[in-house]
Amino acid sequence: MKRLFAALLVSCSLLTLLAGCGANASANGKSVTLILGAYSAPQEVYARLIPMFQQQWKQQTGQDVTFKQSYLGSGAQSRAIVNGFQADVAALSVAPDVDAIAKAGLITHDWTNTPTKGMVSTSIVAFAVRKGNPKGIHDWADLARPGIQILTPDPKTSGGAQWNILALYGAAMRGYVTGVAQNDPHAALTFLEAVLKNVKAFDKDARTSITNFEQGVGDVAITYESEVLTAQAAGKDDDLVIPTSTILIQTPAAVVDANVNRHGTRKVAEAFVAFLASPAAQQVFASSGYRPIDATVAQANAAKYPAVTDLWTIDFLGGWKAVKASFFGDSGIYVQALAAVQGQ
Amino acid sequence: MRLLSSATITTQPPVAQRMRWLLIGIVVAYVAILILAPVGALIVGAFSHGVGALLATLRDPDAQAAFSLTLQISLITVAVHTIFGTVVAWVLVRHRFRGRRWLNALIDLPFAISPVVVGYIILLLFGAQGLFAPLTDALNIQVAFAVPGMVLATLFVTLPLMIREVAPLLQSLDQEPEHAAATLGASAWRTFWRVTFPALRWGIFYGVALTFARALGEFGAVLVVGGDIQGSTETAPLYIFRALDNRNDSAAFSVALVLGLLSLTLVFGIERLRKRARV
Repeated sequence: MKRLFAALLVSCSLLTLLAGCGANASANGKSVTLILGAYSAPQEVYARLIPMFQQQWKQQTGQDVTFKQSYLGSGAQSRAIVNGFQADVAALSVAPDVDAIAKAGLITHDWTNTPTKGMVSTSIVAFAVRKGNPKGIHDWADLARPGIQILTPDPKTSGGAQWNILALYGAAMRGYVTGVAQNDPHAALTFLEAVLKNVKAFDKDARTSITNFEQGVGDVAITYESEVLTAQAAGKDDDLVIPTSTILIQTPAAVVDANVNRHGTRKVAEAFVAFLASPAAQQVFASSGYRPIDATVAQANAAKYPAVTDLWTIDFLGGWKAVKASFFGDSGIYVQALAAVQGQ
Repeated sequence: MRLLSSATITTQPPVAQRMRWLLIGIVVAYVAILILAPVGALIVGAFSHGVGALLATLRDPDAQAAFSLTLQISLITVAVHTIFGTVVAWVLVRHRFRGRRWLNALIDLPFAISPVVVGYIILLLFGAQGLFAPLTDALNIQVAFAVPGMVLATLFVTLPLMIREVAPLLQSLDQEPEHAAATLGASAWRTFWRVTFPALRWGIFYGVALTFARALGEFGAVLVVGGDIQGSTETAPLYIFRALDNRNDSAAFSVALVLGLLSLTLVFGIERLRKRARV
C-alpha cells in the first residue's frame, strides 16, 4: 500500500517537474497577447513572420507581443472562431471562411477594404508527384487516367480542397484539359467525376494530405504550390508539377472585431494584418514558397516562380459567393459529382 | 484481468499439450505484432535523431506546456472519477431504483461515441452560440477553447473506466463482514472505510491507472474543444500531431515516447503491486 503511494507520488512529481518548467511568464502592462487562428498550411512562414513583427512592434511601441497560435483546416478554424475560439486575427485559405465569421457578427468591418483586398498571400494549385514523376503526371488530363491514385483534402473542412476542385473544373472549362471541350459544363462535370473516382483519400486539411502523400499514399497530391515548396525546403523529395492552366489562390487575413474589442488588442491586431501585406513580409512569403502579392517583390522573385500559361482567378467562376452555392451548395457541382462517384 | 492459476493445467495428454503451446504461440505473436512492434518503432524513432534531439524537444517550452496541460487534465479527471466513479458503482450495485438499468446502460455511452463527436457536443453546449453560452458569459468563464472544456471532454470519455472496474468487485463482494461490522456498532462510514474499501481498493487503483492512461492519450475530443492553441490548449497528443504536420518527426517521436512510458509505467506498476499484495 505504502509502496503504491510512493510510486504514484514519485511518478507524479517527476511529471510535475518535467511540466513545471513550462509555466509561462505572466503578462504585464508592457506586453500584449495576440491570438492567431490560421489555416493549416502556413505554419512555417508564420514561424518566420512572427519574430519579425514582434521586433517591429517592440521598436514602434516598446511593447512585447506574445503570440498564441492555432492551425486547423480553414473551414474547421472558421467554425472554431464562430463557436467561441477568441482569435484576434483569422488567417484562412478562402474568403468565404472569413465571411462566415462576419456573418456570425464577429467581424463587423469590411475586411476586403485594404490595398490588397484583404488578401495576404497567393499561390497556385499544383501537383506533388513522386521523385522523377514515375507516373508521368504532367497536366490535369493525366489525373483522370485509370489507376492513378490522387490525394486531395476534403472541401468540407479544407479551403485548399475547394481551390483544387475549382482549379480542375475551371481548367476544363477554359479548354486546357486535353479531350475536354471548352465551355462545356457537361464535359467539365464528367471530367471532374473521372478525377474524383481516382481520389484515394480526402484528408481533413491540406497539410495532412501532403504529409500522407509523403508517407507513401497515392501517386499525386493536388495541393498548393507553396505546400510542395515547403515540403522541399523540409528536405522531402516531392516533385512539383505546374499544370498549364490553374487558379490563383488568394488567401485572406482579417481582424476579428468582437475578439479584439474584448481583449483590447485592436491596434496590434490591425498592425499585424497590415504587416502581412507589407513588402518585408511579402519577401518572407516569397522565400517560403508563396507567390508574393506585392508587384515589386514579385518581380524580384520572378525566377523562382515560373509564369503559368493560363493563370486565372476565382472571378472566372463568378467569384466566391456564386461558387459557394454553385459548387459546394447542396446541389452544387462538386456535391453532385461526388455523389455520382460514390453512388457507383 | 486475473490470470488463471497454473495448477489447473498440469496433467494433460501430449496433443493437448501441443495445442496449448500453439495457442500460447499465437497469443504471443498477436500481442507482439499489435503492441511490441509499434512500441519498438516508437523507441527507434525517438532515438533516430540522437539523444540530443530528444532532449531538445523536452526543453521546448511548447512541449513542456503540453505535458503540463496533459498532466493537469489527467489528474483532475482521475480525482473526479475516483470519487464519483466509486459512488456511481456503489449506487448501481447496492441500490434498486426505477431507471437503474437505464442508467447502467447510459454509463457505457462514452465508449460508443467517437471522441470527436464528444468534443463537438461540448461546443454545442458551451460554444459561443451554445445552449449554456448566456450562463458562461454571465459568469465570465470560458469553457469552449479553454481548459475547462477539455477537462469536461476528458471526463466524459473516461467515465466508464472507473465504474466498470469497481462495480464487478462490489457485486461479488460478500456483504457478511459489513453486516457484522454494523452489528458490532460501527458507523456506516467506518464500515465503508474499514471493511468495504479494502476489498475494493485494487479495483479503484486499476480504475485510476486506466483512467489516467486514457486521459493522457485523449486526442479527438480535446482537439475539437480546445482548438489546439499552442502553449495554451495544446496537450501532448496534440503536440505530437502538430509536430508530424510540421514534418518534425523527432519531436513527435520524443513526446510520444515520454507519453507512452508514463502510461506503461502506470499500468505495469499497478499490476505488479497488485500481484505482490495478493501473494
